[in-house]
Amino acid sequence: MIEIKKTYKNYVGGKYVRSESGKTYTKELKNEFYELPLTSKKDIRDAVTSSKDGYKKWSSTTPYLRMQILYRLSEMIEGNKESYVELLMHHGLTKQKANKDIDESIQNIVWFAGLADKWEQLAGNLNPVSEEYFNISHQNPIGVVFSLSGSNLSLNELLMSILPALTVGCSVISYSEENSVVALKFAEDINNSDFPSGSLNILSGKFENILDDVSKHVEINLVALHKELDNNGLKSIEENASESVKRVFSQPSIEGLSSILPYLETKTVWHPKGT
Amino acid sequence: MVNWQYLESIESREILNIRSKYTNYIGGKFIEPNSKKYIETISPSTEEVLSKIAISNQNDVNKAVKAARSGFEIWSNLAPYERSKYLFKLARLIQERSREFAVLESLDGGKPIKESRDFDIPQVAANFFYFAGWADKIDLSWSTKGLKPHGVVGQIIPWNFPLLMLAWKVAPALATGNTVVLKPAETTSLTALLFAEICDQAGLPNGVVNIITGDGTTGSLIVNHKDINKIAFTGSTQVGKLIQKSLAGREVGLTLELGGKAANIVYEDAAIDQAVEGVVNGIFFNQGHVCCAGSRLLIQESVHDQFISKLEKRMQALRVGNPLDKNTDIGAINSKEQLNKITNLVDEGVADGGNIFQTECELPGNGFWFKPTLFTDVQPSYSIAREEIFGPVLTTLTFRTPDEAVEIANNTEYGLSAGVWTEKGSKILWTADRLEAGVVWANTFNKFDPASPFGGYKESGFGREGGRHGLLSYLKESS
Repeated sequence: MIEIKKTYKNYVGGKYVRSESGKTYTKELKNEFYELPLTSKKDIRDAVTSSKDGYKKWSSTTPYLRMQILYRLSEMIEGNKESYVELLMHHGLTKQKANKDIDESIQNIVWFAGLADKWEQLAGNLNPVSEEYFNISHQNPIGVVFSLSGSNLSLNELLMSILPALTVGCSVISYSEENSVVALKFAEDINNSDFPSGSLNILSGKFENILDDVSKHVEINLVALHKELDNNGLKSIEENASESVKRVFSQPSIEGLSSILPYLETKTVWHPKGT
Repeated sequence: MVNWQYLESIESREILNIRSKYTNYIGGKFIEPNSKKYIETISPSTEEVLSKIAISNQNDVNKAVKAARSGFEIWSNLAPYERSKYLFKLARLIQERSREFAVLESLDGGKPIKESRDFDIPQVAANFFYFAGWADKIDLSWSTKGLKPHGVVGQIIPWNFPLLMLAWKVAPALATGNTVVLKPAETTSLTALLFAEICDQAGLPNGVVNIITGDGTTGSLIVNHKDINKIAFTGSTQVGKLIQKSLAGREVGLTLELGGKAANIVYEDAAIDQAVEGVVNGIFFNQGHVCCAGSRLLIQESVHDQFISKLEKRMQALRVGNPLDKNTDIGAINSKEQLNKITNLVDEGVADGGNIFQTECELPGNGFWFKPTLFTDVQPSYSIAREEIFGPVLTTLTFRTPDEAVEIANNTEYGLSAGVWTEKGSKILWTADRLEAGVVWANTFNKFDPASPFGGYKESGFGREGGRHGLLSYLKESS
């Protein structure tokens, strides 16, 4: 029997799409060649349009429901565990390492699912102002996040570049270069987990092609780089970002509460007390 | 009818002892600038020359950063509880010399004495008190791992609340174990230099607080200095972007508190008289030299005419004049440059077709002044509705529905503050949730407290000052 090989596509606005440029790049993994979408400037623009719409839907989803959708994602991965392990092993990981990666992935999704309805209590508070006012600081998600994933073949690393922003209600454009086969496979489980379309878009390609387009796009509110770039790359991103006071985080913490802080805007509301 | 004659009530300047010139304060000493350059600093209400301040060059910045680096070795190794006591001591000294600070602030910056005396300086002391208590409780502040100070922090502050902006910067930086090189604005450096005397008086270890004066060039020397670990800047969005760009690719922390064009939304079910009072305070407080000023009035159509007529009447009662007169509501514009900027934008508003109302009042002959101004019939595309004027100028737009109000309010690259006026609680919360602004004042405006975080969304900057959240601006996670 001839084995059927999957065609990997970008995942934008809840649909699997090829790059509008028609271009692909070849990734060789363990004697197999994959033709992966080579994301263009126009693809980025489409993804941002979709993410803006996804942000509106996802950020207005109740924390209770966001928690359940994230939990459903862990159910999906658990169900497809074997296929992930196989994919990783195909690409050179030992069975033990592959299993560990997927187990950690599931554990992290469950951890963030449970945080979806709690982070506001951890990051916000009432402020004891010295006059007769009610004063509270709470948070809004920052908006559309572009996240560059790391270069290791790993579902867990990919997830840790997405989950903190997604959990607090941001929409995420996740971009992978080396890890793209895993990322584009992961899109299928996102698609099956009731995430509103556009809340998470998954793209593959060469980051250097779109570095300027991403960092200059004024509707991307934050750029998170989970991969070490050479100093010139980082410098151009940060220079471009300054034109719209865009937030840039290079290798932000993925630990506990620190992991979500970059994606939050603190809003403080005052109201007088009186009779 | 009795013809009341106005009697001035002028605050005495006798309490002041202004030196003929001021040097930099570096490593616990007042020292001559290496540049040997000084500029005159004037009172914007009379154009009288008050003193001379140094224009610092690269060598001066080097000295200050070096002093702050040695200061950091001492300060960061001090028991947190000792740092706390120093901050409490500074707070007390500010209280004790508060009248001196207030008079100097009004004289040098042009703001009414009732504001410097009753708002600025009490808030300065309150900020030092508030952060004094945090110094030995950093480990309790956030459930994140191993927070530690950045090191040497460069702080560049504006001229609108000179000493208060110093307090917002210096108090949290010191509480978290950093040391600072602070540059006040060149038109309002005197109270910062008086604060340097207080640091001396408090016996603060040398190099913990360094104050150097100068213009934008000195500021950029601080930003570009190789041994600075973090920059905290309050000022215009334009300069903020330049600073962010200069720091690109460098491992230097940054927080920015930039411009704003706040919407002040008045719904038809607001307590109108209270709202008029709040709108007046929102824009005319401190001559409108406030980054979070409520400069875009959004009125629901049904109450527009009634509101404007009450607003004009209330504006007419504002007293413009000598900042040292205790009855003055609106003092002098901070500088000639700022006055020109305001005048140009207002001229543009008139040319665009806006309907202008200015109060009838006599302005003093010398100094820089601008009459309280209100624009109606403004289109959202006019520059007076988009650009930060930073003066006593209010522009009015109208809306029909709450959705439209939110859309207009958020239709700006800024996101610092906003106001909502309605007697309906659910509408306040609904609106506040949707406003892209770091501070939302509901049925009030321009309230501040050291415990309350302040800072913007979008192009109004990032990071917060004040409150528990303000600590994070001066801490990083140890790796």
